Amino acid sequence: MPHSTSSPRLGDLERVVMEQLWEHAGAEGTTVREVHEALAGGRDIAYTTVMTVLDRLAKKDLVSRERDGRAWRYRAAASREALTARTMRMTLDDMDVTDRRAALLHFLDGASTAEIDDLKAALAEVEARHTD
Amino acid sequence: MLPLALAGLALALVWVAPGLMAGQTRFRRAPRAALLAWQAVSVGGVLAALLVPLATLPMLLRGDEVTEHPWVTALAVLVSVAVLLRLLVSGHLVGTRLRAARAEHRELVDVLGADDGNGVRVLEHPMPTAYCIPGRGSRVVLTRGVLDALPPDQLAAVVEHERAHLRARHDLLLEFFTVVHESVPARLRAPGALAEVRLLVEVLADRAAVRRTGEVTTARALLAVAEGRVPDIGVGAAASAPVRMRLLTAGVQPTLAAAAYALAVTALVLPPALLALAWT
Repeated sequence: MPHSTSSPRLGDLERVVMEQLWEHAGAEGTTVREVHEALAGGRDIAYTTVMTVLDRLAKKDLVSRERDGRAWRYRAAASREALTARTMRMTLDDMDVTDRRAALLHFLDGASTAEIDDLKAALAEVEARHTD
Repeated sequence: MLPLALAGLALALVWVAPGLMAGQTRFRRAPRAALLAWQAVSVGGVLAALLVPLATLPMLLRGDEVTEHPWVTALAVLVSVAVLLRLLVSGHLVGTRLRAARAEHRELVDVLGADDGNGVRVLEHPMPTAYCIPGRGSRVVLTRGVLDALPPDQLAAVVEHERAHLRARHDLLLEFFTVVHESVPARLRAPGALAEVRLLVEVLADRAAVRRTGEVTTARALLAVAEGRVPDIGVGAAASAPVRMRLLTAGVQPTLAAAAYALAVTALVLPPALLALAWT
C-alpha cells in the first residue's frame, strides 16, 4: 500500500490524541501537558509532538481550543459518534452524486425492497447451480 | 468531404455510440473488454474532434504548401488546441475536486479507526457498508455493521472486491469518464453511459471476489449488505445489485470480448486514418 513517508505515523498519533480527548471529554477541556502525560506512559513521545498534533487537529477543525491563562485547553469539536455519523453522511449524500461515485467506491449503492426480493431470487439461482 | 466525415465520426463516437453501447447489456458478461471498448470510443471521439480542424486545412489551402498560408494554418492548429485545452481544464477541475473530497474523507476515517494491519479501517457505525478511498494512501473502510452482519468468508469477498478496485485503479477509469462526460456539451451527453461504465467496474471487482471466495459466497455477501442498508430509492442505482448477482456466474465470453476489442481498435484507428486520407 503506497504511503507518503511521514503521514502514517502522524495520522496514527492524531487518532490516539483524539481518543484521549474523547475519553476525557469534560467541560473544561484538556491541556497539551495533560494529553502528553496520558500518552507518555504508553509510548515514547515528545511534548512538542503532541503540541504539533493538536495544532494540526485544530487546523482541520477536529478540535477546538480556548486560552486558559498561559495554556491552551483543547476539546474535541464533536463526539466520536457525531464524527462517525458525519463521515457516514459524507459517503452517502453530502457530495454531488457524480463526484461521490467517483471519489469513493462503494461495495453497493442502496437497494430498494423490490431489488432485495430480486436479489433473493438471483441468489437462489446461483446456489442452485452449485448444488447439482 | 473528409473533414465532415471526421466531424461526423466525432459526433458518432461521443454521442451516438455511448447510447448504443449502454443498451448492449450483453457486453456486461465481458466486462474487461467492454471497458476497454468504452475507453477507446471516448478517446477516439475526442481524437476525431481534435483532428477536424487539421483535416480541414488541405481544403483551405487548395493545393498550396502549408508555409504559404501561415495564418490559416495557425488558426486550424489553434482550434485544435482550444478543444484540447477544454478537456485539460475539465480534467484538472474534476481531479482537484475528487482529490480534495478523498483527502477530507481520509482524514476523518483515519481519526476514527485504526488500521487493522491490512489497510482496512473500521467505523463504529451500525449500518453495514463497505467502500474504498482510492488514490494516494488508499484505504478500505468497513463499518461495525458489516462486520457484525457478515460471516468471515463473505467479509473476505467484500474486502477482495474493494481491493480489486484499488489494485486496478478503477478510480482513474471513473475519473477519465467523468472528465469526458463533463467536457462534452450537456446536450451531447449520452445519459446511460456513465452508469454503464460504473456497473462494468463493479462487475470486474465482483469477479475478483468470486475468484477469491467463489460465486455463492460473493452472491450471499451482496444480498447481506443490500439487506442491511436502509431502502434507498431515487439514488438511481438502476437496480444494479440483482444484475451484478446474475453476472457472477457468466463465465468467460471469448466471442463477446473479441467483438469489444474489434470495436476498440476501430474507434482508435478511424480518426487518424481519416486525417491521413484528407492529406493525400
